[in-house]
Amino acid sequence: MKQARIQLVFVASFLLLWQITYKFGIFPQIMFPSIGDISNSFLEGFIEDGLLAYTLYSLSLIFKGMLIGIVLAFAFSSLAIISETFYSIYNFMVSVCDLIPGVALLPLAILWFGINETTVIFIVVHSIIWPMSRNIIDGFNSVNNVYIESGKNYGLTGINLVKDVYLPASFNNVLSGLKVGWARAWRGLISVEMIFGTTSSGAGIGWYIFMKRTNIDTAGVFAALLVIIIIGIIIEYLIFGTIEKHTVKKWGMVR
Amino acid sequence: MDKILKVKNLTKNYKDGADSVNILENLNIDMPENQFLCVLGPSGCGKTTLIRCIAGFEDYDGVVEVSGKETKGPGIDRIMVFQNFDQLFPWKTVEDNIKYPLKINGTKDKEELSKLAKEYLELVGLAGSEKKYPHQLSGGMKQRVSIARGLAVKPKIILMDEPFASLDAITRRNLQRELLKIKEKENVTVVFITHNIQEAMTLGDRLIVLSKSGEIKLDIHNTLQAPINPATEGYGELWKKLSDNLEGNSDLY
Ligand SMILES: Nc1ncnc2c1ncn2[C@@H]1O[C@H](COP(=O)(O)OP(=O)(O)OP(=O)(O)O)[C@@H](O)[C@H]1O
Ligand SMILES: [Mg+2]
Repeated sequence: MKQARIQLVFVASFLLLWQITYKFGIFPQIMFPSIGDISNSFLEGFIEDGLLAYTLYSLSLIFKGMLIGIVLAFAFSSLAIISETFYSIYNFMVSVCDLIPGVALLPLAILWFGINETTVIFIVVHSIIWPMSRNIIDGFNSVNNVYIESGKNYGLTGINLVKDVYLPASFNNVLSGLKVGWARAWRGLISVEMIFGTTSSGAGIGWYIFMKRTNIDTAGVFAALLVIIIIGIIIEYLIFGTIEKHTVKKWGMVR
Repeated sequence: MDKILKVKNLTKNYKDGADSVNILENLNIDMPENQFLCVLGPSGCGKTTLIRCIAGFEDYDGVVEVSGKETKGPGIDRIMVFQNFDQLFPWKTVEDNIKYPLKINGTKDKEELSKLAKEYLELVGLAGSEKKYPHQLSGGMKQRVSIARGLAVKPKIILMDEPFASLDAITRRNLQRELLKIKEKENVTVVFITHNIQEAMTLGDRLIVLSKSGEIKLDIHNTLQAPINPATEGYGELWKKLSDNLEGNSDLY
């Protein structure tokens, strides 16, 4: 709770400083809108500009991509623990592929899939699968040997050992993997949307920001950034926080 | 007499370097059912290595037979209780830690599982701790749960590698006493590793002392009358005999 209070004070001070900067006209107003302008743009965005629809569209894409990425990351990482040959190959693949920024793959994806949802999801999957796999594999590798031997002693082998011992024992790493994956996927998605613009099936929040910039509506750009921040906070505190509370914290695996 | 455990010509070399030596060489041990065997030996002589080979966690040359069948790798017929307090799954409650091995080995009935968990927790003196998580238990309590978990699957042999070595003297005595009670109540065959002479004498029906080089130096039956304590007749002589057979015994008490 003390942490929350500190953070609240920080945010309030930041907003105050922002407003003071604005009042003294340190930067041109067109570049630096007031808190009031941003709030207005935020509300107007939802009421008139369909910001909600853009947001939901982005979220739907990111969840689809994350789902695929998470499933694949788990499947491949589990295989890597079971098979040594696959481990060598996959470990190498992760190292190489993790180096390639999602946006750099975009032209290729467009050539392959065209300008559509598949391409966006492909980039999202790419941004999440490698960092997640790395975290999962690192987690699996650092599982206390005594858990693994206990599991084997009681008859666990192969995929059951992965599911019932490796996975819960490394859950903390899995969660950090999810967090990193989520952040990377979100970034990847926004960049792709900006470059892409609309597709036949809809447009996302990245496109919204891009449009606002084209119209030199700085407050609108900030309003969209605010949406991204709010979603980030909800995911971080509500989703990941809740998962942590009911798993690793309850199990005494983290302080 | 039928042997439940036979270790035949067990040779173990970790092969971790060009100059790696045999830790155990042509070791032979036979154990009848319901025997409580304590293995003593100086630090580094290969006690853990021996019990890990029996458990199936290591590769070795030779044969380990349980009830006449050669073992391959770890199995539910030989349950290991480690020295490490953290052998329980921290993501499961005490109760679920006991139920889980039963579940994956065929006991599906919920009531039956709860009954068994309760029964074995009572046996180790931990009734009422069902819903706790391992991190909420003391080291001694964790070891009790680990023993309960092992007993519950009714293995042919329980393997214990200094399970009480990291406990304080009083808790250690208490757990020894509990283990003696369990030994009387249940039919268990135990291989118990220790480097504590008192512990071996109190618990073991049979005592083996390994030499520094991993050979059997002494293999005797414990003929002292229970309850065994320093006042028991013959305690001093046996203590001396064991102690004389342990080389470099400065760290023993
Ligand atoms: N995984 C391993 N790889 C290589 N050498 C090992 C390994 N484990 C043990 N050893 C070696 O085997 C020998 C016996 O070790 P072991 O752990 O069996 O001794 P111990 O009798 O259990 O000792 P302690 O009483 O200290 O527990 C030691 O020389 C040790 O260095
Ligand atoms: Mg040892």
